[in-house]
Amino acid sequence: MEQQAIKDQTIKNEANREIESPQVLPAPAPKPAQIKKELRAYYHIKDEPKSDRVAMFLTSFAAVLKYTGYKGLLDAYARSSAKCARCANACHLYQVTKDDRDIPCYRTNMLLDIYKRYFTYGGKLKATILGDRGLTEDDIDDLKESLYRCTACRRCTLECPLGIDHALMTHLGRYILGEMRIVPKALRVSVIEQLEGQTRNTSAIPKPALIDTIEFLEGELKDNTGQDIKFPLDVEGAEYLFVPAVSDFMMEADTLMGNAAVMHAAGYAKKWTIGTKNYDGINYGLFYSDWALDHIIRQLVAEAERLKVKKIMVGECGHASRTAKQFVPVFGGALARPVVNCMEFAYEMLKAGKLKLKKDAIEEKVTYHDPCNIARSGWIVDQPRYILKSFCKNYIEMSDGGRRNYCCGGGGGTVSIDEMHDFRMEVGGRVKAEQLKATGAQIVVAPCANCKKQIRELIDHYKLDMELVGLHDLLLKAIVWD
Amino acid sequence: MDHWLAFARGPLFIAAFTLMVLGLGRLVVLELFEMAKSWLRMKDRKIPWSQNLKTLAEWLAPVRLIPRIRPLMSMASFLFHVGLIIVPIFLAEHVLLWKAGVGLGWPGLGSVVADYLTLMTIMTGMILLGIRIFHRATRAISGFSDYALLIILLLPFISGYLAMHPQFLFTRMQTMLLIHILSGELVLVLIPFTKMAHVVLFPFDRLSSDFFWRFPADGPDRVAEALHGEEVKA
Repeated sequence: MEQQAIKDQTIKNEANREIESPQVLPAPAPKPAQIKKELRAYYHIKDEPKSDRVAMFLTSFAAVLKYTGYKGLLDAYARSSAKCARCANACHLYQVTKDDRDIPCYRTNMLLDIYKRYFTYGGKLKATILGDRGLTEDDIDDLKESLYRCTACRRCTLECPLGIDHALMTHLGRYILGEMRIVPKALRVSVIEQLEGQTRNTSAIPKPALIDTIEFLEGELKDNTGQDIKFPLDVEGAEYLFVPAVSDFMMEADTLMGNAAVMHAAGYAKKWTIGTKNYDGINYGLFYSDWALDHIIRQLVAEAERLKVKKIMVGECGHASRTAKQFVPVFGGALARPVVNCMEFAYEMLKAGKLKLKKDAIEEKVTYHDPCNIARSGWIVDQPRYILKSFCKNYIEMSDGGRRNYCCGGGGGTVSIDEMHDFRMEVGGRVKAEQLKATGAQIVVAPCANCKKQIRELIDHYKLDMELVGLHDLLLKAIVWD
Repeated sequence: MDHWLAFARGPLFIAAFTLMVLGLGRLVVLELFEMAKSWLRMKDRKIPWSQNLKTLAEWLAPVRLIPRIRPLMSMASFLFHVGLIIVPIFLAEHVLLWKAGVGLGWPGLGSVVADYLTLMTIMTGMILLGIRIFHRATRAISGFSDYALLIILLLPFISGYLAMHPQFLFTRMQTMLLIHILSGELVLVLIPFTKMAHVVLFPFDRLSSDFFWRFPADGPDRVAEALHGEEVKA
């Protein structure tokens, strides 16, 4: 009886996948008054410039316009933005705060106004004739706040009738601020370690610690599965160079074991490798700087070249997958290689029959959270669902699943900024928490290092009765060993 | 008065229409130029064309999209656009003008249909104006021009309707007709220089995600060098 009910629910959820909208969420939207006023996207900045930030901002903006390709984008948007504010209702932040600065188009237009005022003839002429106060220090503070509240999830872009990419504008705004060294300290410190430090990774994990961890994981795998599953290090000529979010080595042991187990089970045990000179897929450049983005990608392809691998495989991490996929061709030059995500690989192996999974290996109610960076473009939406349904007895879809998913509230690098914890819980993640609660699932699968940390904290904060895992954590339990 | 009307209908209309075409043409050329630059430096030219076409088509006939978010505004906006496009081009009286002006004719709308379409445009325009004034988020991003343009857009519709319905007329028919023609021409002239430019720019906006996330490979280094000198640090 109960099982039938669950089955019905599953079918219903499936059917509603496309049409469900935030209005039908069972949990009522919180009233703005419930949100503490002092919650801001406050973050520490290393060496913030003290004076004349307006001039610095305009200088940075001018340099960015001169040497990069943003001009065409700004021109198109400045000329055509119709300002309907449909995006506001799509945004998980604005739904909670009702703060103007959280309207995607408001943020975009802050930048467009500066662009028009200082970098177009029409704007300059208008300012001369009508006179205006111009850009002020307060505006910079407003921008700073607004830009880092945004999680750059690009959900608003889907709802914009003109298709304006507000997250690209967020990226541009943060890049300009980044060139003035107005960057959350947590992000910048990580990038400095990754590009200039001893360990060359964002978590500052030295090579001996990596080797220790791997030996431990191999031991665990032996105990769990009885198989001799290895993490091959520095294998030249391997097919895949595997780069997870480096934090997985400290926080997501099960995911990594799942990754290794899938490679082993699919017959790729000797065809993949982890490079000991660069084992970090994280690229915080996406969140604040094209320069960092560029150099981190170059570091990644250099490691691929050193080991003469054919392809790059990124672990369970949304932004790492997207940056590699999107920017290896841009910044990789002659060293560029194809990029795949580990779930794409598992999907291919499963379809080809190389990976055998126990049917109904997981009996609990399982739901799937789409990480924005891989789902929004439609790149990885169906593959994880196919995998999960092949071994989960009770798979249920979350509302707005797929391309139109809601951000976990920790995107855009905000999850790495500890000072923003309260904001992420009370504001950024509130919609996600309601969605999670509405599913009634016991297990939520989130194949992204960012989402994992944020959702774990959300589960704790909202006292949700569920467990967070990665896709490969579950795969590890479901693989059939011959 | 008849001289004025003839002038507004003849040379002034040709001037306004030409200005609009040239202005919009300029915008398209400029935008194509920027996108071509982006295209030429792209290493990986896998633009998801079919997906883009699909979303474009979806937005042109947004049946599924309207009820999803802010249904009232979305519906009003859609109908408003339908009226804005159809009435000026297909109204029977306008078709005659098109024929006289450009030498091309097509079947015109009957006066009853045209009346309803005009009223629909005026009403949905009013709703949009109301939303702009009273909806919190829309008001927050609205400036003077956003209100002004909406009102200017409605002028030719209101004056046109009044000119065609003498029973509502409070002035001479010719005066109303002159207001109608002049306000219509004002709209034409304003299109390329205001946000109304989205009439030609919207397909480019849709493609912006695919074109402008592909940065020039040497851009970031050159920006950093210009701002911080040779020794660039993270």
